[in-house]
Amino acid sequence: MQAALFYIFAALALVCGFLVVANPFSRNPVTSAMCLVLTLVWLAGLFVLLEAFFLGAVQILIYAGAVMVLFLFVIMLLDLRAEERRRLKRLGLVGGGLVAAALAVLLRGVIHEAAPAAAAPPAVEGTTEALGRLLFTRYLLPFEAVSVLLLVAMVGVVLLSKKELK
Amino acid sequence: MSPLERALVVSALLFGIGLAGALTRRNAILVLAGIELMLTAVNLNVIAFWRHGGQTASAAGPAFVLFVIAVAAAETAVGLALIIAWFRQRRTVQLDEADTLKG
Amino acid sequence: MNNAAYIQLFKLAGPEMLIALAALAVLLVDLTLMRGAPVRARRVIAVLLTGVGGFAAALYLLQVPLRAVSWGGLWAVDPLTQLVKLGLVGLAVLTAVLSLEADYTDHVGEHFALLLLATVGLMVMAGAADLVLVFLGLELTGLSLYPLVALNKAGPRATEAALKYFFFGALAAAVTLFGFSFLYGLSGTTNLAGIAAALRGRGFDPLLALAVVFSLVGFGFKVAAVPFHLWAPDAYQGAPTPVAAFIASGSKLAGFFLLGRFVALALPESGDAGRAALFTPGWVPAVAVLALASMVLGNLAALAQRDLKRLLAYSAIAHAGYLLLAVLALNGAANRPAALAALVYYAGTYALAGLGAFAVAGHVERHAGAAALNHLTGLGRRAPWLAAGLAVFLLSLAGLPPLAGFPAKFYVFAAALNTPHAGAVSLGLVVVALLLSPVGFYYYLRVLKLAFVTESEKRPAGPDAPGNSPQGGENRFGVETAVALLAAAGVLGLGLFPQWLLGPLQAAVREAGG
Repeated sequence: MQAALFYIFAALALVCGFLVVANPFSRNPVTSAMCLVLTLVWLAGLFVLLEAFFLGAVQILIYAGAVMVLFLFVIMLLDLRAEERRRLKRLGLVGGGLVAAALAVLLRGVIHEAAPAAAAPPAVEGTTEALGRLLFTRYLLPFEAVSVLLLVAMVGVVLLSKKELK
Repeated sequence: MSPLERALVVSALLFGIGLAGALTRRNAILVLAGIELMLTAVNLNVIAFWRHGGQTASAAGPAFVLFVIAVAAAETAVGLALIIAWFRQRRTVQLDEADTLKG
Repeated sequence: MNNAAYIQLFKLAGPEMLIALAALAVLLVDLTLMRGAPVRARRVIAVLLTGVGGFAAALYLLQVPLRAVSWGGLWAVDPLTQLVKLGLVGLAVLTAVLSLEADYTDHVGEHFALLLLATVGLMVMAGAADLVLVFLGLELTGLSLYPLVALNKAGPRATEAALKYFFFGALAAAVTLFGFSFLYGLSGTTNLAGIAAALRGRGFDPLLALAVVFSLVGFGFKVAAVPFHLWAPDAYQGAPTPVAAFIASGSKLAGFFLLGRFVALALPESGDAGRAALFTPGWVPAVAVLALASMVLGNLAALAQRDLKRLLAYSAIAHAGYLLLAVLALNGAANRPAALAALVYYAGTYALAGLGAFAVAGHVERHAGAAALNHLTGLGRRAPWLAAGLAVFLLSLAGLPPLAGFPAKFYVFAAALNTPHAGAVSLGLVVVALLLSPVGFYYYLRVLKLAFVTESEKRPAGPDAPGNSPQGGENRFGVETAVALLAAAGVLGLGLFPQWLLGPLQAAVREAGG
C-alpha cells in the first residue's frame, strides 16, 4: 500500500515537474506555475508517506500557498503575453534533457551501489514537538539567523521593487 | 528497490529536471521555478535519509528542511523583485537579453 | 521559558547581535528622525551609526575572550574566528566610509542596513561549524548583496549585474544544498566535526565524492573560482563601487575562511597509500582543478581588460586560484596550522589591497563617469595621493617584496610545497603560479604606466567624462583618498612586518586546535 502510493505520488510529481520546465502544450508561464504547485503538492504527499507530517503541512502552506501566489502575482503583474510567442530552443531542451538523464543514471548507479542498508525503520512519534524543542534550544542561533534573513529579504524586496520617483 | 533507494532516485530525477530547466530556459521566472524544483528535491533527499537512515532519534533532518524552506521562500521573493526591477528597465524577462556587460 | 538559551545566545553571538542592532538603528533613524533631511546629512548619520556599531562589535571581540564550541558543535567561538570577524567588521566600516559619497541612491537607510546585515552574514559564515549555519551564512550574505548590487537603479547595468549575480548564486546554492543533503545522509549528522568523524576511514565511495564535489560548487561561487566565476566581472563592473569593494574584500575573506574550515573540519584527508588514495576524499582533485583553472584563466583574461573594475575582477579570480593552493595544503594534519594561517593572512591582505584599489576606482568613476583604464591617464598629477595608493595596491597584488602581497604569496607557496601526499600536484601548481607571475606584473604595470607615465594629451573630457568637476574638485581630499591611504598604510605595514598579523594568527590557530 505504502509502496504503491509512493510510486503514484512520485510519478505524478515527476510528470508535473517536467511540465514546469518544458510544456509541449502551452507556452504560458501561468501553466508552468500551476504545474509547479502540483509538483509541490505531490511532494508534500511523499513527505507524509515518509512520516514527516509537519513538513508536509509546511510544504503546502508555504510553498504551494505563499510562494506560488507570489509567482502568479508577478507573472500577472508583468503581463507576459508577448513573451509567450518566443520559441524554445530545441537544442537547449535536448541538451538539458540529456544532462538530466545522465545525472539521474549516474546517481541511480551510485546510490544503488552505495546507499546504506536500510534498517527496519522505527515508528516515528511526536516529531513536531521534538522539532519545536530543537529549534528553541540547540538551533536557537540558526533560528535567529533566519529571522535576520527574513528582514534582509524584506528590506531588499522593498528596495528593489520600489519605483524611483526621480 | 528499498524505500530509501527509491526516494533518492525520485529526488535525483527531480533535481535533474530542475537543473536542466534552470540551465536551458531563458525566461527568468521559469529559471526560478527550476531552482525551486532543485531545492525541493534537496528536501526530499534529507527527509528520506532521516526516515530510513536510522536518524529518527534526532530531529536535525526536519530542522534542516525547515530552514531550507524558509530560505527558499526568501530567495524567491528577492529573485522576483529583481525580475520586476529588470522588467521595468528593459520590458523583458528573457535572460539572454542580459548582455550589455562585456569585456 | 528558556531564558538560559537566550542568555547564551547573547553571550556567544554578541558581536553579530551588535551589528544587527546597528542595522536596525540605521533603518529606524533614517526612516523616522532623518525623514526629509538632506541626503548628505542622512548619509553622514548612517555612517556614524555604522561606525558606532562596528566599534562596539570590535570592542566586544577584543575584550571578551571566549572560547567555546556551543550548541552541540553548531557554532565555533575561538581566537581565530574572533580575529577573522574583527577583520570583517573593519572591512565593513571602511566600506561604509567609502559609501559616504554614494550619490547613486536616495535609499540611505536601506543601503547601510543591508551592508551591516551582509556583515552579519559574513560573521555567521566565519563562525559556522554546522551545515545549517554554513548554508544560512552563505544565503544571508547573498540575499543582502544582491539588492545592494542593484542599488544604482539609474545606471543601466546595475540591475543586469544583480540579476546575473542572483541567478548564479541561487543555482550554486541549490547544487551545494544537494551535496549537503548527501553529506547528511552518509554521516547522519549536519555537524562538520561529526561528518569528519563519520566519514573517516571510508574507502573510495562515489556517492561521497559526488557529495563533496556538489558541496564545493557553492564555495566556488562565493570565492569566484573558475568555472563558477562568470558572475564576478559583471557584478564588479555593474555594482556601485563601494559594494563591489565589499564583495571583493569581505565576501572573499569570509568565503575562503569558511572553505578552509569546511575542508579542514568536515572532509577526510587523503591517505598516504599511493596515488589512488589521493582521490579517496574527492575534494583534493576538485580543488586542484579549480585552482589551476582560476590561476590560468584569471591572469590571461585580465590582460584583455579595458575597465579597471573588470581588471580587478579577473585579478580577484587569479588570486582565488592562489588561495585555493592554501586550501589544498590543508590536506594533512601536520601541515594544517601553517596552511590555515597562510590562507587567512593571504585573504586578509588581499582584501585590504582589493578594497583600496576599488576605492581608487570609485574616485575615478565619480569624476570621469566610468572607470575605464584610459580615464586613469594623468592620475599621478591630478590626484597624487590616490595614485600612490593605487601603486601600492597593485604592486602588492603583483607580489612585490616590501608589500604585503609578497609574504602572503611566500607563505602560501611554502605551505603548498609542504603538503603531504599530494606533493607532485602541489609542486606543479606552484610552478604554474610562478610562471604566471610575469603576466600579473604586466597587466598591473600597464595600469600604473597609464596613471603615472602617459601624458593625457587629449583629456578624457568631452563625451567620455560627464563628471561635474573636470579639474578643480578632483584634487580635494575626499573619503576615497582617506580610505586608500589607510589601506595602503596597512598593506605596507603588513608587508614590512608580516609578523604583526601572522604572529597572532599562528597563535590563534594553535589555540583553536588547528
